[in-house]
Amino acid sequence: MTLKRMIAAFGCALFAVPAFAAYPDRPIKMVVPWAAGGDTDNIFRPFAPMLQKHVGQTVVIANVGGASGTKGAKESKDSPPDGYTLLAVHDYIHSTYYTGVAEVNYHDFEPICLIASTPSVLTASPKTAWGDWKGLLADAKARPGMITVGATLGSTSHFFPALIEKAAGIKFKYVSYEGLAPRMNAILGGHIDLTDSNLTQKGKVDAGQLKFIAIATEKRSSEMPNVPTLKELGVNVVYDVNRGVLAPKGTPADVLGKLESSCAAAAREPSFVDSMKKQATDVRYMGRKQYADWLKGNDDLNKALAKDLGLLKR
Amino acid sequence: MFELLASGIANIVQFKYLIPLAIGSLIGVVGGALPGITITMTVIVVLPFTFGLEPLQGLAAMIGVYVGGETGGLITSCLLGIPGKPSAVATTFDGFPMAKKGEPGRALWLGIWASIFGGLLGAVVLVGATGPLAKMALEFGPWEYFSLFVLALSMVAGLVEASLVKGLVAGAIGLVITVLGNDPVMGKPRLTFGIEFLEGGVPFLPVLIGVFAFAQLMSEVERMGGGRDAFAAVDRAVNLAVSHFKVIGEILARPILLLWSSFIGLVIGVLPAIGGSAANMLAYDQAKKFSKHPEKFGTGIPEGIIASESSNNANVAGSLVTIMAFGIPGDAVTAVMLGALTIHGIQSGPLFILQNPVLAYGMFAAYIVAHALVLIILWIGVRWMLRIVTVPKAALFPVVLVLCVIGAYALNNTMDNIYVLLISGLFGYGMVKFGFPLAPFILGVILGDQIEINLVRAIMTDDNPWLFLTRPISGGLLIASVLSVALAVWQHRRQQRKGVAPAQDDVDF
Amino acid sequence: MKLSRDGIGGLVVFAGSLVLIWMTLGLKDNPLVPIGPGFYPRIVIGICAVLGFAMFVNDWHDQRKAGPAPAKAPRDGPSLNYTLVGLMFAVFAVYAVALPFLGFRIATFAYVAATNALLAPPTEPKHWVRVAILALATAFLTHLLFENYLSVLLPRGRWTGL
Repeated sequence: MTLKRMIAAFGCALFAVPAFAAYPDRPIKMVVPWAAGGDTDNIFRPFAPMLQKHVGQTVVIANVGGASGTKGAKESKDSPPDGYTLLAVHDYIHSTYYTGVAEVNYHDFEPICLIASTPSVLTASPKTAWGDWKGLLADAKARPGMITVGATLGSTSHFFPALIEKAAGIKFKYVSYEGLAPRMNAILGGHIDLTDSNLTQKGKVDAGQLKFIAIATEKRSSEMPNVPTLKELGVNVVYDVNRGVLAPKGTPADVLGKLESSCAAAAREPSFVDSMKKQATDVRYMGRKQYADWLKGNDDLNKALAKDLGLLKR
Repeated sequence: MFELLASGIANIVQFKYLIPLAIGSLIGVVGGALPGITITMTVIVVLPFTFGLEPLQGLAAMIGVYVGGETGGLITSCLLGIPGKPSAVATTFDGFPMAKKGEPGRALWLGIWASIFGGLLGAVVLVGATGPLAKMALEFGPWEYFSLFVLALSMVAGLVEASLVKGLVAGAIGLVITVLGNDPVMGKPRLTFGIEFLEGGVPFLPVLIGVFAFAQLMSEVERMGGGRDAFAAVDRAVNLAVSHFKVIGEILARPILLLWSSFIGLVIGVLPAIGGSAANMLAYDQAKKFSKHPEKFGTGIPEGIIASESSNNANVAGSLVTIMAFGIPGDAVTAVMLGALTIHGIQSGPLFILQNPVLAYGMFAAYIVAHALVLIILWIGVRWMLRIVTVPKAALFPVVLVLCVIGAYALNNTMDNIYVLLISGLFGYGMVKFGFPLAPFILGVILGDQIEINLVRAIMTDDNPWLFLTRPISGGLLIASVLSVALAVWQHRRQQRKGVAPAQDDVDF
Repeated sequence: MKLSRDGIGGLVVFAGSLVLIWMTLGLKDNPLVPIGPGFYPRIVIGICAVLGFAMFVNDWHDQRKAGPAPAKAPRDGPSLNYTLVGLMFAVFAVYAVALPFLGFRIATFAYVAATNALLAPPTEPKHWVRVAILALATAFLTHLLFENYLSVLLPRGRWTGL
């Protein structure tokens, strides 16, 4: 092949539009932007096989952790918008944008569906001197800025304690621990005092390895009725983490439609509902349209929160 | 614990786990026996196959490779005098002379049985100590992890034969590679040279695969001259008949040697970063020191073979302890295993055994059962092994590189990983040519992000930097790392005074 | 000034480190983290620079002490075949570039055939058949195994759709 022809061929390749067979004709990659074994991972692992069943192609989970979840978000944003790369997402996509951690926001993507909602629980290390909110509050007032909180900076696990800080008029010290799994190691070893977790960690509380201080719901959870809500303790904070699926901007509408319907069916699968129940997570399905509106509202809410908390960087 | 272990074994002997374990063991034996193909290389080749398997299937395959590789390495060491891998170097000292004296079967089976015994002694510690060590690991805060990593790096740099400074430079370059791209705490791009895909940081497994694959294969390629068969003169039909009772008797008649060598292997395995290549030399050296007739070492006596082979299999158990209790890789092989765990959505670390008891005890069981499988494989297959290891490299190398490409690509389905593979291959080969050791470099790449994250966490938790020294475990680890460098300096000085010029071109890793 | 391999290596490391340190100077701190993104890199690269410089000085010192070194020490064994190494890297680079255009199967077939032929040049037609069989088997068996049984996705060709 002469050089000229090679260049010509190369040029063709750049402009050639590959012919699509009916979507999907090959496996689909779902990017989970957090370390394996974390709570997001735990929710999408049982979801992927159900989605696979209804979409009719293998769905592979790729854990692309790092940089408060923005590494995976960036990678999926830059993937071709053909429906073969999806992003498993939660509220961090708004919070990291407004706290200046990430350049990626939800409007770089097309919404597909929301699937689950997990209430946050304020959790303490077994090595702390106090075991309830009263003790924590007294200690926090006595030693402002000395109680350590493990958090993924700029993400939901940072927002939730920050909301409590504001509502109760106290001050914490934040230490970067990315994802729930490393935070659990640190809190069990007593290297941090507090963290945001959820009822998935119930087993460790029952075994006396962890202490749940309060749950951020309106009403007490039926799974752990002895954990008080923050509201009844006089701290007006209700917070949950909502997880859904996005596709890169520009994904064709028919592909999105196919994904949406498969997602809806997958979210109704009894085995998925079961595994969510085991993780104390509510299945909360929303389709494309509804999810898009919800994302918009949530985005404004996060911007307002970031501003309130003094974390707003844009 | 024993019930869990028993159910682990019952679990692993099911066909769906036994098959990958057996295939892994077989590939390990062959890979370990092939000169120029190390266990790391073999595990890298097996990696892509584990992506589509269940976690325990994949891990069983990798453990099989690890155990099989440590044992298989002795075949060429004994019969051809060419170590199949660095951790079988000491086996050649006595194994090859014994084979030349007309007892190839005895040399081989002494090594195999010593491997099995050493490995099983290691298993006792693996099963018994991993849980308690994991509890201890939970007490490790960011300070302790930081200091532990620093110790690992300084030890591995100090072990380098040729030059301490070059070992340290290699480790530092590895660390520098990990600061490129972005900062691991806030994900801010830094030092990207304007290359967009670097903004995600440098992915360490493609770097590891590239450096190892190319540095190793190219070092072989440069000695190849157009189709010449290096093994043309090998007699492929050696008589390996031997009385197994006699061989086992010979080993068990030296219980202290067996125990001490296995112990050395284990301890070196547990220490992060020092692999089997150090274990077998040290065990051999110790055996010689404590022997009543040190002058006979090197002439083909059983002690030399037993010491070397029992230590390198026990070393595997030690490495598995570290990866399972601390979640940090002790060497390149376990680094690849850790990568495989992560792909399957499992976080290794102090909570690993608690949260995944089935998987953890399955791994213990796989380690134990692998020894039985390796024994069976060698029992049946050892007579063909010489034919297999003399397979033409011209056919082997492209296939190995294709599997490396698949492994790197499939990590997260991106072509960028393949470019990283190529660039790190060039880089790794360049380092070998400049005489830099690869082991500290790779360790730097593996630990770099963790060192930075733990440093930042420590400072965020408490802004008093003296805590690194005043916390007892952390301080002890840092003092140990200073001592290890000092010891290395002292040893190099002593060698220079003796007039022993350090081997310059001996590149081994 | 005479330098050996080590001295040159040390100098390269030293110079590279200085460039990188200069590049870290523009990094901005983040208010959420007490130490900025440039803090740790500067330490590590600084260590690297010092060690590289030490290597250079060591070597310079040694070379002066040694005086005019004896001409290159004769090597044992066969001389090293760097042309072959270069060609191997080149073929691999072409493979890496061609993969996304040709797809896994075609690119791998070509790569394995080329590398095999390079390492063991075929001299008679029989050898070419051997090369072709090896390449075909590698390309198609790995593809079959990984895509169909292990759900590992392999690169697809933009030109070929394969």
